[in-house]
Order: sequence, then structure tokens, then C-alpha cells
Amino acid sequence: MGNYFSSMFDKLWGSNKEIRILILGLDGAGKTTILYRLQIGEVVTTKPTIGFNVETLTYKNLKLNVWDLGGQTSIRPYWRCYYTDTAAVIFVVDSTDKDRMSTASKELHMMLQEEELQDSALLVFANKQDQPGALTASEVSKELNLVELKERSWSIVASSAIKGEGITEGLDWLIDVIKEEQL
Amino acid sequence: MPPLDKKIKKFLKDSVRIAPKISSKGELTELRTGLVSPYPQTRKDAIKKTIQQMTVGKDVSSLFPDVLKNIATNDVEQKKLVYLYVMNYAETHPELCILAVNTFVTDSEDPNPLIRCMAVRTMSMIRVDKILDYLETPLRRTLQDDNPYVRKTAVICVAKVFQLDKQLCLNLGVLTDLVSALEDPNPVVVANTIASLTEIYAMDSTVINLNDLIQSHVSKFLLALNECTEWARITILTVLSKYSAKDSIEAQDIIDRVTAHLQHVNPAVVLATVKVIIINLDLTKPQINDPVMKKLSSAMISIMSTPPEIQFIALKNIRIILEKYPELLTKETRIFFVKFNDPLYVKLEKIEILVRLVDASNIKQCTILLNELKEYTREFEPEFVSKAIQALSQLAIKYSKESFCNKVLDILLELLERQDTFKDDCCIAISNLLRHCPTSTQMVTQACGLLNTWVEPELILNRDEAKCNYVWLLGQYPDKFSSLEERILGFVENFRQEDPLTQTAVLATIVRLHTRLPGTILQTILELATKETIVIDIRDMAMMYWRCLSIPGGDELVQQLCNTAPPAIDNILDTFPPEILKKLIQELATISSITFRPQATNAKKYVRPETVVKGKKLDELKNIAKNEIVKNDEVLLDFGDDATEENNKNTTTLDDLDDLFNFGTVLPKESNSGTNLESDFNKLGINGGRQDTNTTSTSTTTQDLMDLF
Repeated sequence: MGNYFSSMFDKLWGSNKEIRILILGLDGAGKTTILYRLQIGEVVTTKPTIGFNVETLTYKNLKLNVWDLGGQTSIRPYWRCYYTDTAAVIFVVDSTDKDRMSTASKELHMMLQEEELQDSALLVFANKQDQPGALTASEVSKELNLVELKERSWSIVASSAIKGEGITEGLDWLIDVIKEEQL
Repeated sequence: MPPLDKKIKKFLKDSVRIAPKISSKGELTELRTGLVSPYPQTRKDAIKKTIQQMTVGKDVSSLFPDVLKNIATNDVEQKKLVYLYVMNYAETHPELCILAVNTFVTDSEDPNPLIRCMAVRTMSMIRVDKILDYLETPLRRTLQDDNPYVRKTAVICVAKVFQLDKQLCLNLGVLTDLVSALEDPNPVVVANTIASLTEIYAMDSTVINLNDLIQSHVSKFLLALNECTEWARITILTVLSKYSAKDSIEAQDIIDRVTAHLQHVNPAVVLATVKVIIINLDLTKPQINDPVMKKLSSAMISIMSTPPEIQFIALKNIRIILEKYPELLTKETRIFFVKFNDPLYVKLEKIEILVRLVDASNIKQCTILLNELKEYTREFEPEFVSKAIQALSQLAIKYSKESFCNKVLDILLELLERQDTFKDDCCIAISNLLRHCPTSTQMVTQACGLLNTWVEPELILNRDEAKCNYVWLLGQYPDKFSSLEERILGFVENFRQEDPLTQTAVLATIVRLHTRLPGTILQTILELATKETIVIDIRDMAMMYWRCLSIPGGDELVQQLCNTAPPAIDNILDTFPPEILKKLIQELATISSITFRPQATNAKKYVRPETVVKGKKLDELKNIAKNEIVKNDEVLLDFGDDATEENNKNTTTLDDLDDLFNFGTVLPKESNSGTNLESDFNKLGINGGRQDTNTTSTSTTTQDLMDLF
């Protein structure tokens, strides 16, 4: 009964419930830059994230709780602490870093095996498109073996966090999926 | 009951609230869901509940990762709570602490100085190596912060880091920053800096030259003194007391600058000021009428109106100061008179002070004190009365006039007649008095007349010292006692049980009186003293007497030995040796001033370096992963036939395995089923790799399986 009412309230006023989104990816992929691009719309100077950043932003009347977790090898094991109740994962890939594509792919697939993430949507940003020699979205998709993913809404978007290209498109897609699935 | 309008407000607030509430039971599972709730309000409630559980002593360390998620917030209250939790439990989860680093670093740049300060303070408190690795930037930044509040915290943090990891501190070079912080325009920062430097110096005196720093910054300290908090004042004053002024002019200057603080409300500030003044007084050679002396004495008197615990400390310190400047408080005797509601420890200390304070040339004052002490002997607390009796004899000997001693003797005798207790103390006091005025026959007759009435004195008296004095009196005034032989025989019979002092006295007295006593007593005591005592001095003494008595003309020799008059005593107050006194003056207002024992120069460092908790090394993580795999295999070994089924259920196995892990930690029975195992293991190796998201374990899975064979 209480649940029914609270969900009704949620629908009425958009509620103060937050939707959890994780931004993951290898170190130096541009996760923190994307987070602050989303929040304040500017490029901030970042340094390697030891730990995490978390920001709450309102997008299309939804309150998003966006977590940007550090990508260092030493911190990756702790990603799993944050998987609970995650609506969506944004996986950021450095499109110029061809050498570590396989590592990225391995991390991505291993993460998606987690039961807690079975229902979450996946958005992959093929980032750093502004750099010369960057792989295109479809090339990255191939490298990451995204076609293998079944029973999951996923999408890959070419982006440049520095120039601000592709970020909103990606997020729009993600929000639509979340709204469809959750509300 | 809260008023109605408040109740209504609360009701409205509750009914509008959507976020689920946390029940007050505080079960871990409930708290955990609360901590990761999508509703900020619920999360905050859960944090509050967690902290509540923590403060009542329940172990909530298992919530660490979930609490940590809430560290990045704009809500100062929530941040503070999470910080509190992290400080408390960081050591239980050293690996996870790394997740907080980013927030700490970001917070140390926060526009709010409170948060900047909190971040660096918490960071330097966490005894985890990984945190310390990232401390450099925040610490440097906060040391140079615009806000003095942040700077004053940062300088203390340097000392904390030094305690945790000396080498790191030296490598960062923050000690130089610390030294330059002495030039800070803000007095509180200066005070904290010098406090921090003092701590570091106490931990390792080789890294900084504290004395030089103090010498070169005295004017800075004096300037800061007037503008900072009381605690900072104490720090600065303590440091000033370590400064040795160049000449009397500088010393006078320092005295003038600090004198104002004698009127501070905080007794610690007053004592610290007193210390600085006393140390500098040496150079200025003041007269007793010097205004400084007056101010000093009024400061001490002001402390006497504080709670008894503080009074006690003050009294102890006053006793040291009085040895150096005996005239200081002479006019203020009345302040130290014992009040009926003073606790015992204060009373005892007050008596000590009173006897030292009184001016021996002032008959009026001495008589007043005499009457006062006489009153004290009527009190009921035994320790207090014995102290008063002791003080009476001390006073009499200090004043030194025979008539005065006589008065004291009268008081003592009267007391003995009135009460059965305190015979020990009176006996000691009386013999002290008699030793002070050995010529007064009247006093001797009076005193011995009373002592003579005691039957079996060896049983009446308890303390070694008292018995010793009684026996000495027997030897000194044998004519005044009736049945001398019987009395001495009593002591001889108990000889074995007596303490060394009494044994010595009995031996000497019998030898002294051997002409008056039957020879058997002498023989017995000499045999007892040479054979039965364990104290070597008594044995040697007895041997010597025996030898003297056995040589021809020995009797005369012994008479000569025993009948020399002992020197009259003119002071029975304890005093400090000059060396000790000098040290104690330097250490006024510290613990040494209470124990009267100066700090040993090579004493153990009172601050021990704390150990830093190290996160698990890669090897350990590998081991954990290995164990998990071993357990996985165990499970699947037992269900060897169902291996394929297990594979199909791949996605849900993690939960099952988690449950199964609890079943035991038995190693796989390797000899169990031979070759089949290998194929099973290989299959499972792949499964295990997929299931486990822990990168470390994945990379080592295959390796581990190989190792197993």
C-alpha cells in the first residue's frame, strides 16, 4: 500500500528519488571530464581519480545521481561495491588507445556478467573523437564485441568530451531507455 | 509532551515525506539498504543511525563501503558524520580507504574553509598507508591556505603525519613549511605551529633545532601572546619558559609583557605565566617589595579559589616556588588555613605549605598557626591529624624558642591523654622536640613521665620510626623510666619481627645501657643481632660492639662511643637538593611539579610513533582469490556429474557459490578421483574467471590452478 502511494507520488511530482548511473572505463578515458561536462557543461582540468566523484544533476525532469569511478587497475576491483541499484552504466573508451581495447573489452564484459547489473542499460562513449587516429564508433563496437550482448539495451555513441560532441545525444538515448524501463 | 503546533508540524512533515524511514532498531541489513537508498533523506537518516550505533559501541564496520559512498556530498552535516565514521573504521578496511582519497583531495579545495580543514584533518588522522601516499597535495595546499583557520589545522597535521610516517614527512619537506609558519601573521597559527614543532621535537630531537627556533622567534611569540586563545597562550608561555633571556633588561621585558596574564581566568594560563616569570626573575634579582612579587603572590592566591583538584596542583607548585622564594607568600598565611570542606589531599598539602610559609621571626604569626594546628589535631581524619602533629613539631623547631617548644609539647601531651590513637606520631614529634632542646629538664621530665605510663610500648607503637624513637629515648633518659629492664626485654623478645630502624636502636640502646642491665640481655641481643638479622649494617654494628666489649678497657671505649651528645636538630622540613630544585623550577606546571621528580633527561619518548595500517598486498589478494577458487572447485568436485548443469546456470552461480562458501574451508581432496579432476578443473577455471569480476583473481586463476597441480 505504502509502496503504491509512494510510486504514485513519484509519478505526480517527479519525486526526489534519484536514479543511479555509473561512469566506468579504463584510466584516462575521460570519465571525469564527461561527468563535469554533464553537470556544469564545461571542460574542467582533471587529474587521475583516486576513488570516485559523484554529482547529482537534473536532466529532463529526472534526478540523476552520476558516479564516476576511478579507472586505475588498483581501483577497478572496487567497482563492484557500486553496482547495486544501478539504472545504467556509461562505459567510456579512449578511441585512440588501440593497444588497450582488449583490456577495455575484457573489463566491460566481465562487469556485465554481474548479476546486479543485469537490468541496467549500457551506453558506450567512443570518446576522444577530436584526436587524430581515433577509431570510429563502429570500429570500437567491433573491438569491444558489443554485438555479443543479448537481452540488454545498449548503444554506442561517438563523442568528444572536450568539444562536447555526442554527450547529450548519448544521454538522451539513455534517459529514454531508463524512462521506458523504470517508469 | 511537545506543544501541539510542533506535533502538527512534525505530522505534516512526515506525511509529505516519501523517502522511507529507518527504524530505530538499527539492524545492519536495514542500515545497508538505507545507505544506498535512492532517497537522499533516507541515506542521511541511515548515516545518523549508523553513527549512533557506532557511538554505543556496536561494530558497524561491515557497512564501510556503503557509508563511504556517501562521503561526497554538499551537506556539511552529512560529510562530517561520514568523516567521523571513516576516522573510526578506516583501519578495518584499509584497502577501501583509497576510494575516499578523491573526495578528500577535492574537499581540500572546497570553497568552505570548514570543509577544507576537515578534509586535511581527517586525512592525516587515518593511519592507512594508501591515504598517506596522497596526502602531499592537500597538506601543501592547506599549509598555504588563505584562511588562518585552515592553516592552524594544517600545521598540527604535520605533527600527526610525522608521528605516522617520519620518513614521508621528511621527504615531503613540510617541516620547512612548518618553520616558516612561525612567521605567520595570525597568532593562533603561530601558537599551533610551535605546539606542533614541540611535539615533533619530542618525537625526534634531531630533525629540528627547537631551541634555536625559540630563541629567534621570542618577539613573535610575545606579540602573538595577547591575541590568541587561552590554550594557545599556554603553549606560547610554555615555549617562552624554555627561552633563556640574554640579560636582565630582556628578562624584565619578558616579565612585563607576560605579567598581564597572571589575571587570566584559566588557572593553567596563570601557572604557565608564573613559571615564565619565576624563570626570568633569576636574572632581574628582584627585591621582596618588587611589584612583580606582589602580582605573583596575588595570582597564586587567586588560584586558591578554584576547585580542589586545581588547588592541589597549585599547592604542589607553590611548594616548589616557596623553596626558591620563601618570603613570597608570607603575608598570605590565612589563605592556606584548612577549610572544613577541603578534600583530604588538599588539607595535607595545605599543612605542608603553612609550615613552610610561616615567618619564623614573627611570634604573632607563629602563635596563630600554633593555635590553628592545635585545632587540626581535634579533627577526625587520621592522616590529617598525623600531618598536623608532624607540623606542630616542625613549627616548634622552626621557631626554635624553648618556651614555644614547651607549648607544643603541652599540646601533644594533652592530645595523648585525650586519645589513644596517634601515639606513633606523638612519640616521633616528642623525641624531635627533645632533640631540639636537649637541655630543658622540665620538658624531658614531662615527656618521659607520660611515656613511662605506657605498658608494653613495643605493642602500643606500630611504626618502625616511632618504636625507634621510643627506644632511643629509653637510652637517652634511662633514669626517667621505671622498670627499664622489663621495657627493654619486651623489645628484645620481638627483635626478630622488628624493622631495621628499631633493631638498630634496640642494639645501640642495650649496648649503651649494658652496665645497668643484666649481662644476659646484652649477650642475647648481640647473638640475635649477629645471627638472626638479615640487615648487614646491624650485623656489622653488633660485631663491632662485641669486639669493643671483649678487648681490655672496652667498657670505657663503648661508653665513649655511646655517650657523645647527638647534634641538636634545627630543621625537620624536607627540602629539595639545589640541583633538583633547579630542574623542578624549569618544570613548573608539568607533571613533575606534582610528583616532585624531574623528568629524566634520557626518559622514554612520551609520544610513540604510531604504526600505519597497510592495505592488503597483491600477494594477499591473490591468496584470497585462490582460496575462493579452491572452494569453487570443491563444490563442483562434489557435484561432478552436474558440472554441465552448473555451467548453464552460470549467471546465477555467484549467489549459490556465496552461500556454499560458508560450508567450510576444506582443501580439495586431491587424491580423490585422479584424472577426471583435471578436466573439471580446466572447465571451472574458465567459469571462475567469468564469474569473478575481481581483476586480480581473474589474471591469476589459471596460474593458481596450475599451481595446484
